[in-house]
Amino acid sequence: MMYAKTIARYLHIKPSCWASEKSQLAVLRKKTGYTFSNCKKALEMHNNDLIQAEGWLHKQAQALGWSKATKLEGRQTTQGLVAVAVDKNKGALVEVNCETDFVAKNKTFQDMAETATQACLHFTERQPHIRGPITKIGLDAEQLRQLPTKDGKSLADHLALMIGSLGENATLRRAVCFKTDSNIHLSAYAHPCGTEHNKILLGRFAGLIALKQKEQKDIDIKALGRNLCQHVVGMDPKKIGTSSDEPAKNPDDETCLIHQEYLIDNTSIVNDVLEEYGVEVIDFKRFECGENLTVGIQPLSHIETCQ
Amino acid sequence: MASFISARVIAPSLARSLKQILFSCELARIHNHARIIPCVTPKYLHKRWYATEKKVYQRVKPHCNVGTIGHVDHGKTTLTAAITKVLSDQKLAQAKKYSDIDNAPEEKARGITINVAHIEYQTETRHYGHTDCPGHADYIKNMITGTAQMDGAILVVAATDGVMPQTREHLLLAKQIGINYIVVFINKADAADKEMVELVEMEIRELMTEMGFDGDNVPVVTGSALCALEGKNPEIGAEAILKLLAEVDKYIPTPTRELDKPFLLPIEHVYSIPGRGTVVTGRLERGVLKKGAECEFVGYSKTLKSTITGIEMFHQILEQAEAGDQLGALVRGVKRDDLRRGMVMCKPGSVKSNDHVEAQVYILSKEEGGRAKPFTSFIQLQMFCRTWDCSCQVIVPDKEMVMPGEDSKLVLKMIRPMVLEQGQRFTLRDGLLTLGTGVVTNVLPHLSEHERLEITEGKKAREKRLASETGGK
Ligand SMILES: Nc1nc2c(ncn2[C@@H]2O[C@H](COP(=O)(O)OP(=O)(O)O)[C@@H](O)[C@H]2O)c(=O)[nH]1
Ligand SMILES: [Mg+2]
Repeated sequence: MMYAKTIARYLHIKPSCWASEKSQLAVLRKKTGYTFSNCKKALEMHNNDLIQAEGWLHKQAQALGWSKATKLEGRQTTQGLVAVAVDKNKGALVEVNCETDFVAKNKTFQDMAETATQACLHFTERQPHIRGPITKIGLDAEQLRQLPTKDGKSLADHLALMIGSLGENATLRRAVCFKTDSNIHLSAYAHPCGTEHNKILLGRFAGLIALKQKEQKDIDIKALGRNLCQHVVGMDPKKIGTSSDEPAKNPDDETCLIHQEYLIDNTSIVNDVLEEYGVEVIDFKRFECGENLTVGIQPLSHIETCQ
Repeated sequence: MASFISARVIAPSLARSLKQILFSCELARIHNHARIIPCVTPKYLHKRWYATEKKVYQRVKPHCNVGTIGHVDHGKTTLTAAITKVLSDQKLAQAKKYSDIDNAPEEKARGITINVAHIEYQTETRHYGHTDCPGHADYIKNMITGTAQMDGAILVVAATDGVMPQTREHLLLAKQIGINYIVVFINKADAADKEMVELVEMEIRELMTEMGFDGDNVPVVTGSALCALEGKNPEIGAEAILKLLAEVDKYIPTPTRELDKPFLLPIEHVYSIPGRGTVVTGRLERGVLKKGAECEFVGYSKTLKSTITGIEMFHQILEQAEAGDQLGALVRGVKRDDLRRGMVMCKPGSVKSNDHVEAQVYILSKEEGGRAKPFTSFIQLQMFCRTWDCSCQVIVPDKEMVMPGEDSKLVLKMIRPMVLEQGQRFTLRDGLLTLGTGVVTNVLPHLSEHERLEITEGKKAREKRLASETGGK
């Protein structure tokens, strides 16, 4: 023990000496990041040959991830992230869950949410656009898992790898993808908008909104779309509503988007803003991480499959 | 004076009517009385007079709050159970089962629902409150409510896995909730060999140093919580637990007791007793108050000096009172009209007024009785703290809005300076609705007269000003 401490200090000061001083196990762990148990097993299987052990570990990573994922399967995942992205006329809103909010803050997990969002955008790209201003596609956990990613692996494979590295159960819960006509403007918003990476927004709440300009007016539709989407994320309207919907007696109970007090400026209601800009809301979708969670994988009925 | 104060204690309603008759107190103040926000004081300060009646629970050992942090499955709950088991063998704790800790019911503190297990035990030298939470948000809520603010933590790392990617997040949390002292327990030594344990220790020291802790000197203890819990292999079981506790005893400093701090009494009421002078009443929040002591009254942009000429509690004239006591103090040379509810009486120079602070605040969800809508910067809220309340403007520095049910950093700009310091807890309200609870994490420079005026300006004026400011650049 004492010996280890001295080394630790020594190494701390001179990190460059790490490799020469340390055992094979230490080198392998440092290099690969796999758990000590796995690194040890790899070395034992290959007569302490570092290169072979490393190769084996990388080859095994997927299998190890899968076995960890199987072991942890069924453990409740109530935390996580909602990711949202817009790429021209395509938008995707995806929820990925894990067990603790610590993991949700971790880069590895955030990368997973990004990969899933990209896969959804890519999937949307390949879908035929049915007539009408907007095509909406809902994906459930199983459908999400099957989606291919850039490197050819499925999202389920990526998820298993991540579970192997973070050691916590995680699930791909649901996604909604929008594909629109070219005259529709899509906007995204996530809260808290801590990280934006590759145009993907991550948060605990996120939304997508589709707008259409009714009049030829010179407006900043990007800024307006973002603000309206923030409103959707913050105020959680249940439907767009029409003029035939009666406004609620107490403005705080209002669930129709157009009758709600505008979050950005509470002196007006959303409808006034839309009128002022000559804009119409075609559709919106909002996810809150962990909302109406049932234990395990949620039933299909909770997922919107339109089209 | 004696009869008066006892009447208030025994029958507050009677006292109130008495007050109305005797001192023709304005209605507003009575209204205020009903809004007193209970101030949480650690249990050990409560009602010291009970001890003389019967020996209910005498706590002579200093108290310290700790908690476990670490990756899921590395053994936090097992360790907590093992600690109580090992100490219960020495009659220093009541053994808790793993399942009792793991399924602890949600707690409610200051209206906030927290997923937390609070456990008590003692070592030879100290008494401990031990917190085990499942998530980051729960530790933050625990810090904000202050029911068991952690003075130190035990970081649990399984030797089989080593440091995990999210261990960083655990250490960041520790930083955020003000924990500077961490003792490391390398768990699952039964399933790992010596080399693995040594490497894990190295990794932890390295990471802790990187994260700004004293990684080289952090105490690290190796053992197996499971063995300790099951009473097997005492050298890595029970003995390791005792070694861990000895390190915790040694490494995590005992926090200053409220009793040992300079005295401070938030004023609840001020009376003028004909022939004797001015009396202030309230509960002594900290320190020891002695007859004849110099004191200072601070609040509402005023500071007045005086001397305490008499202390009275429950019909009795006392020479001194201690933190936790509800008392009346006779003070010399200040008029009733100079003092008012919301000011504090304290040791001269020990506290300051502030009007600009940074705080960590939890915003109640609708289910917890908060509001349903998010809020954005510049919202005006009423801040309640000790016995005062004050209107303030809220700035959300690092996000665009704050949703109900989430914690957030907020900057508060108050319309007038009041006694407020780092670590002070408060409540934010919007009309009758309690919006959230917070703790001051940082005191910022006083507002200038100009900035103070900006607090109360309307939205239109602010937008105009902001536009001209950015336009001018
Ligand atoms: N082999 C071994 N397993 C342990 C030890 N401590 C805990 N475990 C096991 O690790 C798992 C997770 O432990 P738990 O206390 O629930 O971890 P937590 O999620 O950090 O609270 C349980 O199955 C425990 O039985 C130990 O010292 N040795
Ligand atoms: Mg646990």
